[in-house]
Amino acid sequence: MKGLSRIGIVAGVWLFLFCGSSFAGAPDGSVSPEEGFLWELRNQEGEVYRLEGIPVQPDGPGHLLSFKTDIPGIILDGTTGKQEGQGLPSPAARPGEGRDPFQEEEVQESISDPLEPVNRVFFEFNDLFYFYLLKPVAQGYEAVVPETARLGVRNFFTNLGFPVRFVNCLLQGKFESASMEFARFILNSTVGLAGLIDVASEGAQMKRYDEDFGQTLGSYGIGTGFYIHWPLLGPSSLRDTFGRAGDSFLTPASYASETQYQLAVRSFDTVNETSFRIGEYEDLKKAAIDPYVALRDAYYQYRRSKIKE
Amino acid sequence: MVQCFPVRAVLSFFVGLLLAAPAWAGAPIEKIKSSTDKILSIVSDPAMKGQAKSGERRKLIRKVVDERFDWEEMARRSLARHWAERTDAEKKEFVTLFGNLLERTYLDKVEGYAGEKVFYQGESMDGEYATVDVKIVTTRNVEMPVRYRLRSKGNEWLVYDISIEGVSLVNNYRVQFSNILAKSPYKDLVSKLKEKSAQEQ
Repeated sequence: MKGLSRIGIVAGVWLFLFCGSSFAGAPDGSVSPEEGFLWELRNQEGEVYRLEGIPVQPDGPGHLLSFKTDIPGIILDGTTGKQEGQGLPSPAARPGEGRDPFQEEEVQESISDPLEPVNRVFFEFNDLFYFYLLKPVAQGYEAVVPETARLGVRNFFTNLGFPVRFVNCLLQGKFESASMEFARFILNSTVGLAGLIDVASEGAQMKRYDEDFGQTLGSYGIGTGFYIHWPLLGPSSLRDTFGRAGDSFLTPASYASETQYQLAVRSFDTVNETSFRIGEYEDLKKAAIDPYVALRDAYYQYRRSKIKE
Repeated sequence: MVQCFPVRAVLSFFVGLLLAAPAWAGAPIEKIKSSTDKILSIVSDPAMKGQAKSGERRKLIRKVVDERFDWEEMARRSLARHWAERTDAEKKEFVTLFGNLLERTYLDKVEGYAGEKVFYQGESMDGEYATVDVKIVTTRNVEMPVRYRLRSKGNEWLVYDISIEGVSLVNNYRVQFSNILAKSPYKDLVSKLKEKSAQEQ
């Protein structure tokens, strides 16, 4: 029902915005669950906007569509189970098909990307940065530094991430996770030699609760916002960017005395982490027809699933 | 940059394809496990190792995989709304191209199998649809939750989507394809797929 009422509100806003406009180029009437639909609506100024219905699963139960539009100021977020007036389409149910009951768990929209041209430029920049700078450095580092040491460094930085995880668990009301994180921190910082050894995971089999402020905001119902692909930092969203900013207050490295030290610490962490992940980005590129979109969508789906859990 | 998001998650679905045999109550489990075991034995067979045998190996693996994965369903769902607009010949071509894309990437990953462990977390079934949750643990204790979606076709259960850490394969491709098709005609997508296949040879 939540999805329905959201659609209702959005549709209301939509109609309000276009109050007085007429819709030429009305939908051709063919709406079906597996095909979805694409309407092009023209207002009185002659501007054309698209409203698209995308099947969540093309041959599913016949009544799940998710919506996408480029009408400015509207963010459509939700699916409709059954049609409710308001000028929204009535998807036809296909008889005898049986339901795909698992569709309802996943609202498969994609993140809006109004900054796509800029994002793509940064994506290309990051691509070059990775292949020409980060990867060679990480490979050199990997060759020289033994794995145990690199794991130690990784554990050390992960341990330093405790305040972020802890506070965000609390903010989300996940008190058990928070106390688990606290216990992990104590254990790793003491027995684990200031975090170098991840005693909590390996010895005590404790789970790490990877929460951040972006997820906290998401759990409060704040939508993802649009996609931003930062140079060097990589994929993010409007909300998650605020999330990062918020988390930086809880990150020890931010308090190093001078910017160059902050930068050095972050670079070291990045190179170390990359030394474990060489090959992943290449694999993504290999599997994707459009790596930029592949990464953007994977990021979006991943963040959604992290917020849900 | 790559660290702030587990790119590995997107790619490890290929490991998932290999290892995470969907399991649920009944005879199908045996079938699935045998598929997985077959693939594993092909990959670890000493007689099959090495570059020279790579073509043969891939053929054998593909045969096993074809029994378990519904390429057409995956291709159809990834084209979504655009599928219905295609002619039959185009549909066939697309299924082949898309299947080859997945197969190639998959085989590359399969051959990098290095002892990951698979744990079956649970399943649910509803009529002709089923979901299986699996956890893959790598040798470095990195855990990856994998979710299979299956649909029954006659006697068989076939996989039509895989999600790793919440990232669905079909959805990821669907967004890519719809992004391309929004800006250019279908034949451009086909030529991109063909180009990619030529690149990888």
